[in-house]
Amino acid sequence: MALTTAPDPTRPDPGSVRVHAERRGPGRFRDSEGLAGYVFLSPWLIGLMGITAIPMLLSLYLSFTNYDILTPFSEVEWVGLANYERMFTADPSYWHSVRVTLTFALIAVPLKLAAALGVALLLNRAWRGVGLFRGLFYLPSLLGGSVALAIVWVNMFNRDGAFNSLLSLVGIQGKPWVNDPDWALETLMVLAIWQFGAPMVIFLAGLKQVPTELYEAASVDGAGRFRQFRNVTLPMLSPVIFFNLVLETINGFQGFTAAFVLSNGLGGPVDSTLMYTLNLYITGFTDLEMGYASAMAWVFLLAIAVITAIFFSTGRFWVHYSDGEDR
Amino acid sequence: MHPATPPTTNAPVGRNHRTPLPRRRLLRGLLAVTVAAPLMFGAAACGDDDGGAADPNAPVKLSIFWWGGDARAKLTEDALALYTSKHPNVTFEKTWQANQGYFDKLATLTAGGNPPDLFQIDDNFLAEYAARNTTLDLTSYQKSGKLDTSKFPESLWQYGVVDGKLVGLAAGENTQGLVYNKTLLTKNNLPEPTTGMTWEQHIAWAEEVSKKTGVPGTQDPSADYKALWVWLRQQGKDLYKGSELGFTAEDVTKWFELWKGARDRKATPTADVIHEGNATDITKQLVVTGKAGTSWVWANQMPDLKKNTKDELGVIAYPGDPSAQWARASMYWSVFKGSKNKDVAVDVINFLNNDLEAVKLLGTDRGLPSNQDLRRVVSDDTTDPAMKQSLAVEAELTQKFGPSPQVPIKGHSKVRSELTKAAENAQYGRATPAQAAAQFIEACKAAIA
Repeated sequence: MALTTAPDPTRPDPGSVRVHAERRGPGRFRDSEGLAGYVFLSPWLIGLMGITAIPMLLSLYLSFTNYDILTPFSEVEWVGLANYERMFTADPSYWHSVRVTLTFALIAVPLKLAAALGVALLLNRAWRGVGLFRGLFYLPSLLGGSVALAIVWVNMFNRDGAFNSLLSLVGIQGKPWVNDPDWALETLMVLAIWQFGAPMVIFLAGLKQVPTELYEAASVDGAGRFRQFRNVTLPMLSPVIFFNLVLETINGFQGFTAAFVLSNGLGGPVDSTLMYTLNLYITGFTDLEMGYASAMAWVFLLAIAVITAIFFSTGRFWVHYSDGEDR
Repeated sequence: MHPATPPTTNAPVGRNHRTPLPRRRLLRGLLAVTVAAPLMFGAAACGDDDGGAADPNAPVKLSIFWWGGDARAKLTEDALALYTSKHPNVTFEKTWQANQGYFDKLATLTAGGNPPDLFQIDDNFLAEYAARNTTLDLTSYQKSGKLDTSKFPESLWQYGVVDGKLVGLAAGENTQGLVYNKTLLTKNNLPEPTTGMTWEQHIAWAEEVSKKTGVPGTQDPSADYKALWVWLRQQGKDLYKGSELGFTAEDVTKWFELWKGARDRKATPTADVIHEGNATDITKQLVVTGKAGTSWVWANQMPDLKKNTKDELGVIAYPGDPSAQWARASMYWSVFKGSKNKDVAVDVINFLNNDLEAVKLLGTDRGLPSNQDLRRVVSDDTTDPAMKQSLAVEAELTQKFGPSPQVPIKGHSKVRSELTKAAENAQYGRATPAQAAAQFIEACKAAIA
């Protein structure tokens, strides 16, 4: 009501607008462009606030409560640091999931990057049909964290799966890989490594950026293939390696879908695939301990932030930017 | 990039005092609308509620949520359409999905303050929801006869009582069932197992099956809470007593040792195959994947199991004295406590359980009809052989059933997953039965604390 009774502000005097526009053409243009920018941004901004920022802050608050998702907010009890205390001192399954996740990330991420770089080097040549191969190697990554892929994986790697059939052809007796607590996590690692397409494409782009003069100069100086790789390719590629390392590490820590599907959401056999995020999910939704799960999520966020910060601080020693501005 | 120029610093005076004003007013107006709208809608909704109580013919839209497959969805939708045809003012907002993720969604909806008026629930979560005051106490409706349980077996509706409140009404009855592969046994001239065999006899029989057929005779149920439960009741114990565990570490040790013995005698498959069968998914039960001669399931799952195998299946009670088994609610219907249409929701539950046409439509999909008079009618009508079989078994066992235990307590789903973990630890040989049992008890105590 207030809006309609107010003197109509939406129709400025057309004459003055024109005058202003003429007087300050570019400024005026920039201004309305700014407004348009915000308008176009607004879905994203609303999304950021509504489904990221506000829920995150709320979860920070909930991490200090005994919230169990079914109780209304108004009845939630403040428990201080109890959730954090329990996590660090009284929950063996928490530490188990930390170990599982670290093992997974420490092994799968470097191997995945090595595979990506190796294949990128092979596919960086200009031989016939290379485009097809690039596409084929990229394909598994496109399928990403899909449930379908994880189901295929389970069926390939169980006792009577395709992988064991292949092994039996060469006379090797296989294992029930995904159903063996000693091998289930390793099977997941292989799945993660196999999806090296995304970092591979980024490596390929990085390799294309290395100036050929450097290789020419190096070979004039008598450097062989290996020396060229070590002294030209690797340093020139280091920003890309750094980028991939940070990204894939974060991805590695967040591995969820495959572990969830493979273990029917339980992290089995015998907790061997109880990744951090899976544990978090079970705690929140099956055990209905959303407050505790929120605390776990915040520790997780901080841990990833710390690890990323460590990468950035060591980056100074091995990441070279070609413009000479080694930060 | 250009350095950003603050728009006000060099804006002309004329604009300066004109534009901010309407913008501020606009924002204020928007804010007012944002704040006021929910109040208005809320008020309108309240008015609706009052009107509904006064006028029984006021239009009602009831939201209802269940888990299950396409077949169940079809049956339920038909039954609800029947209700609407008899009560034209009531329409339904139906949502259903597979079991996987159902309770995540239900919990999220509840947290968001808009749970369905009427929802399906099982005994894993009934106590959890009841303890948090999410479910409506149906006792007064039962007393006034608006919710008619007079034709229910008493132990069946009582299995929906938590802390003295009737918080869920059995949508159907079922019981523990040991399903075996008849075809495999006949082909090899082996006797069929029978109700009342002791556990030792069952394992000896399974060993025989393994030897003769090469298919392990029985799935190892040591990770299965319902098998442990029946076994405990046969020892005079129970899964829960009040808010405590009804058993000790020694009991669980004995239980794990029983099955370690069975594994050592090759009466069961190897640990990895047992693990495969531990998945709750009906399609992975070893009796249908051909990896074991028997599976430990619920008797009403027979028709579903039958769909996954060409072999003929039989079903009997779990070993030991069958009076340890009970008429169990396969699942319940519960009403959200904050529902605006409580009376209608209760009436719908009553209709689904006590209306002849509705019960006929629903068949045995959610277990045997809870209303025993109508159960007989459905039983005479059914043509599906697998369904006939599970009806016959249930009818036979009903005579032998003992009293219902209490509904599992808060933390039960965690207890279940901890049992799986501990039993698998023993199966894979990572712990002795005693170690696994101790670990299980410890975890249980933390889970139900």
